[in-house]
Amino acid sequence: MVKYYPLIPVLAIYLVMFLIGFYIEGMWQMVALLAFYCALGQSWNIFMGMTGYVDFGYVTFIALGTYGMALGISYTHQYEWLGIGIIFIGLILALFLASLSALLESFIALRLRGAYFAIACIGINEGLKHFIEGARIWGGSDGIIFYGALIQAFGRETSNHLTAFWADFAVFIIAALAAILNIYYMRSKIGYALTAVREDEDAAKVMGINTTKYKTIAFLTSGLLGAAVGAFAWGVKLAHVYPGDVFVIHYTIECIVVVLLGGAGTLLGPVVGGLVYGLSKYWLAVVLPGFQLLVFAPIIIIIIVVFPEGIIGFVKQKTKSTPLARYII
Amino acid sequence: MILQLLAGNLIHGLLLGGVYGLATMGLSLIFGVMNVVNVGHGAFIMVGAFITLTLFSVLGISPVLAIPVALLMGMALGFFFFYTVMRRLIKAPELASLLATFAIGILLEEVVKLIFGADFRGYNWGLGKIVLPITVIPLSKIYAFIGSIVIALFLYFWFSKTRLGTAVRAVVEDSEGARVCGVNVGWIYALSFAIGIGLTVMSGVMLTMFIPVGINPYMGGVYTLKAFVIAVLGGLSSPYGAFFAGLIFGLIENGAYVLFAQIPGVAPFPLTVSLAFWMLFFLLLIKPTGLLGKK
Repeated sequence: MVKYYPLIPVLAIYLVMFLIGFYIEGMWQMVALLAFYCALGQSWNIFMGMTGYVDFGYVTFIALGTYGMALGISYTHQYEWLGIGIIFIGLILALFLASLSALLESFIALRLRGAYFAIACIGINEGLKHFIEGARIWGGSDGIIFYGALIQAFGRETSNHLTAFWADFAVFIIAALAAILNIYYMRSKIGYALTAVREDEDAAKVMGINTTKYKTIAFLTSGLLGAAVGAFAWGVKLAHVYPGDVFVIHYTIECIVVVLLGGAGTLLGPVVGGLVYGLSKYWLAVVLPGFQLLVFAPIIIIIIVVFPEGIIGFVKQKTKSTPLARYII
Repeated sequence: MILQLLAGNLIHGLLLGGVYGLATMGLSLIFGVMNVVNVGHGAFIMVGAFITLTLFSVLGISPVLAIPVALLMGMALGFFFFYTVMRRLIKAPELASLLATFAIGILLEEVVKLIFGADFRGYNWGLGKIVLPITVIPLSKIYAFIGSIVIALFLYFWFSKTRLGTAVRAVVEDSEGARVCGVNVGWIYALSFAIGIGLTVMSGVMLTMFIPVGINPYMGGVYTLKAFVIAVLGGLSSPYGAFFAGLIFGLIENGAYVLFAQIPGVAPFPLTVSLAFWMLFFLLLIKPTGLLGKK
């Protein structure tokens, strides 16, 4: 069990966040935003942190997750006997769409390295977005609006409860699940194989590691978690989806910033990064509305140049060979 | 009828393709020398467009004179960002350089938005046009095309005939080898980055001839993505490959638009954009070194 100790601080932070949001009036929205960033950072980090591959098109999974939920709810809401089941149908569709795209991407993009991989991932994202708009599938650029469908299925009160509380609650669950999966991978054969890939992929291949298999496992896990976050945080919570709103590379950048702030490849990093990023974004939106990006861009550059190991990377160095070390990874 | 339309559009595609080629040469040069993908590429094109717009509509200076101004300002920006940011990231993992160039792009966009606002703007050079039986071509587009070719040729001769150009090619081939032969690799990195950015900003000047009212702080994103496709088409690290790939891309894009417009019930413009990315996808699958790239 000792090897799972690092989960304790992560889950404790999530629990505290949840309790703050649940019991203190007016805090829920902010806590939900923070959980969203933590969950996304944690999910993105599963693939990037262990393999070193930068999936610039990660937002594709979040967007497809949102579409899955939208399609599920808007096609099945008239069947009353399904009840809350339509949310699960939506989730399954979300995961299905994301895994289709993950498998397609891993078939093509995971053969590529470095810059080619990043470009291919961006290409898939933009290609899908413009294809949906161009071929007018799934409502084209008009998107899918399904708040009406939610009300029809559950009634106004339950729908409001669903979008205002349960969607965010699901994000908490996903964030915790992502942390558990992350440490499980780190501590198993998968993690060792992927670390070998990160250090030297050719050497790993020569040693007989099936690099493609392990990369695909991590890619798929990371993508499915992203899709689940999208399905709840954008799908159920907002009850509408437009291609121009969801297939936006800026969200991938937010994931990257969260992970980099906290420390890439660490377990606690995305959580701390998500908290710091989410809080500062929230604060900037209040203090300097409209200027967040102007402030963030130089901060990102400074972090990359002078502080590339992130907060947890730094703490890890400081706590080495102290009793704290076994909780921080 | 449709053939006429197609032929007319292909002419426009060729002209735009020349500008696309120029717009991608900078990306390829920077990747070839430093192994850095400039994700903020489009923002520099946008800067070029705003330089042209300001010179023309505020000071009344012709866009032809905006070209050298754009080159100088672009190179200044290039040197500035190289010495403040990129120099420290050459040996860093990809993540760092990708994110840094993206952040530089955002920074430029936000600064321009702060100065000019987020509205769409444009200017009218009013040079007249050539009327062909199949289509009407504004003279400014032809100037932009010729300008792009001249700049590309100039770069070609600079690369092949001058010592400095040869040194850049040596660094592209093998930076360690070049260092051993006495090339100041650090300076070559800085110079190539500056020239790459300069070229990109210049291409922004040319591009304004094609977008009468499309100048906006966020206009660059779509050109970043097109430049990626073109760069991969041209072999990613070869500026000339990029130029020819730009021509091909312009032709395909405008040709496909006409064909997609014949299909009822679809939006042809986004479909054309998505075609570009499916092309990228298949290209990466079949021949990741690019159509015109080396093995």
